[in-house]
Order: sequence, then structure tokens, then C-alpha cells
Amino acid sequence: MSAQVSYNMATKQVRYEALVKALHSDLFRYAYWLCHDKHIAEDLVQETFLRAWRALDSLKDEKAAKSWLITILRRENARRFERKRLEMSEYEEAAITDTQSTSNEQEIENYWLREKIAQMPEEYREPLVLQIIGGFSGEEIAKQLNLNKNTVMTRLFRARNQLKEALENTTKVRGQYNG
Amino acid sequence: MDDLQFRRRIYADPHTRDEDMLDAIKSDPAKQRFTQELDDLDSKIFKALNVDVPSDLCSKLFLRQTLASHQQQKRKSRIRLSLAASVAFVMGLTFNFMQFSSAYTTLADYAIAHVAYEEGYFSNASTENVSLASLNNKMATFNGSFTSGIGKLLFADYCRFDGIKSLHLVYQGVTSTVTVFVVPNNEDLAFSANFTDDKLIGKSQHFTHSNIIVVGDKNEPLQKWQNAIDKNINWSI
Repeated sequence: MSAQVSYNMATKQVRYEALVKALHSDLFRYAYWLCHDKHIAEDLVQETFLRAWRALDSLKDEKAAKSWLITILRRENARRFERKRLEMSEYEEAAITDTQSTSNEQEIENYWLREKIAQMPEEYREPLVLQIIGGFSGEEIAKQLNLNKNTVMTRLFRARNQLKEALENTTKVRGQYNG
Repeated sequence: MDDLQFRRRIYADPHTRDEDMLDAIKSDPAKQRFTQELDDLDSKIFKALNVDVPSDLCSKLFLRQTLASHQQQKRKSRIRLSLAASVAFVMGLTFNFMQFSSAYTTLADYAIAHVAYEEGYFSNASTENVSLASLNNKMATFNGSFTSGIGKLLFADYCRFDGIKSLHLVYQGVTSTVTVFVVPNNEDLAFSANFTDDKLIGKSQHFTHSNIIVVGDKNEPLQKWQNAIDKNINWSI
């Protein structure tokens, strides 16, 4: 029996490590866009994976792993607010840290776009992050966020629309400066 | 597909490509350009969303889990240990209870059971002979001594008389051995002066600190034995 137990433990370990390796980056990025803070994002990911480890036996389908983890992470994030009773902090520009030096046009645009995404209303940003980073379909996002699919598609439309317009406007502005 | 619907769909998901969409894109260069624009936008958004992941996050996650599972393991082994301890404790209690509690309520019952159990173990024709000195040596434990031998003593040793340390003497009798127990007073066992079953008879005599019980078969003149004991025994207290 003890051999069986340690065999199960070993398999669990292998599954867990595979899960961490494959999904920790996506999860971290998702967490980051939920809370705009690298440290909180890291804590959230740690807490999420710890819960995942404890409940790993309940994950039957490996393909569902990502959405399973995201569900845990969203719950963890919500709990953070319950615990601390913090007001949902408004986005502060200082909170978005520039990790790479803005040496070229591309990086400047990246940085700028990051700010725009951070300023976007939560309800538009979250489906967008789930779609682009998570690679989820409209149905999957709807299920994850407990919304209907049309609402999700509308929000995705608005999110991109906002970003596109913002980008086009700055290009014009910058063009004027340059000219 | 009208333009508005096309835009709505491509904005919601730039990678959507069902037949309607493909047809629309193929048939209209403006839509093609528009699709391209959206693809570009998406790759820009993708780059922007891809914030750097702390390089040590992966190892931190492994470490957290290892610690957590170690603690879980420790908790489990503590539970197992305490379970094992409880089981051992209960077994110990049971053992003690069975070993030392009175299974019999009277001296008589026990004496008869004891003798019946050892039937065949002692032979009346045995040539053993325990000396008076050796007997008195053992009697000292019970603060008593015999002034002279009361018969041919085949065996003398301590025994557990229902959990009480006692002296077990076996004498040669008329047709079979006669057993004499010297048992310290014990309130758990009721005293009975005379007792009998289908084969054996017994007599008990009460002294200050001890009872002396004589058990023999029905041919045995137990009263004679009892008188001999009474006459020969001295109690030091």
C-alpha cells in the first residue's frame, strides 16, 4: 500500500511540475493584468499553484488545466479583496513598471500600449487577456467569466476598437510632432 | 455580409475564419487590408500583454509545493503515529485487564480451575521431594514458615493466583496429588471455607494475612491436611 501511495505521489509530482512549466508564464501574465502589480501577481500565482497541488486529483482532463487554473486564480484574486477590504485601486501610472529600456520605436509603442491596456475598463481588458494570452474561444471566455457569449464578443470588439483608435490617434499626433 | 457585421466579427476575434468570413475577405480588398490591420494590432497587443515573467517563478513554485507536501507528509505521519500509539495503548490496557483482572469471583472457583488446569502435570508417584528449608525460604515471602513437613512435598513455587502472587504447593496424596495454595488476602476474591465440584473438593482457611487453600480429590481427608497445616504453620507477623 505504501508503495502505491509513493507511486501516486511521484505521478502527482510529475503532473504538477509539467503543469507549472507549461502554464506558469501565462498564468503570471494573466494575474499581472488582473492586479497590475508584479509582486501581487507572483503571490497570486503561488497561491493558485499551491491550491492546484492540493486539488490536483480533481483535475481529470489535462486539456482543461489552463481554464481550471485561471478559475482558481480569479477566485484567489477575489479573495484578496475580501480579505483586505481594499478599495479597488485606480490604475496608477507608476504601478506599471517599464521592465525594458525604451530604446526603440517598437518598445516605446509597447510601453504606451501597456498603459492603454491598463487604463482600459476591467470588463474589456479581462476578456482580451483571456483571448490573446489564454488562447480561449468566445464560448470559453463566456463560461469563465460567467457571461453570455454575445456580451463577451461585444466587449472584445470594444476593447480592440479602443486600442486601435488610440493607436491611430497617437500616430497622428506623433506624426505631427515629427513633421 | 455587410461591412458593419464584418467589422464586429473581425474586431471580436481577428482569427475567426469561417466560410462567410473567408468569402468576404477574398471578395473585397478593403476587407483584406482591414484584416491585415487587425492582425497587426493583435500582434502588438500580444507583445504588450507579454510582460516579463520573473525568471525564478518556476523554481519558487516547485519550492513552495515541496515544502507544502513535506508538511502534509509530516502531518500524515503524525496522524499515523498517534493512531498506532492509540492502538498500542488500547492493546496494552486490554492485555493488562485480561492478565490481572479477576476472571473468577471466589477463591474456590479459581482454586478448582487452577488445579483442574494442571491435572496430569503433577504425578502422585513423582520422586521429587522439596526440602522444608526450601519451602520455608519461599514461605518467607508470605511471612510464614512451617515447623515441620506436613507430607511429601513434590513441588513448591510461586504462581499467579488470579493475578495475585501466591505459593503453589503440591503434596503426595492418597490417590492423587493434593494442592495447597498460600494466597495473600484479596478483597476481589470472595472467601469460601468449603467447596467442591464433580471431581475435586477443597477447604480454605483464613489467617491474618493469607488464606490457605487445600484442594484434593474426593478420597482425600482434607480436614487432616488442614489440621496439619494449622498445627505446623507460624506467621511472623
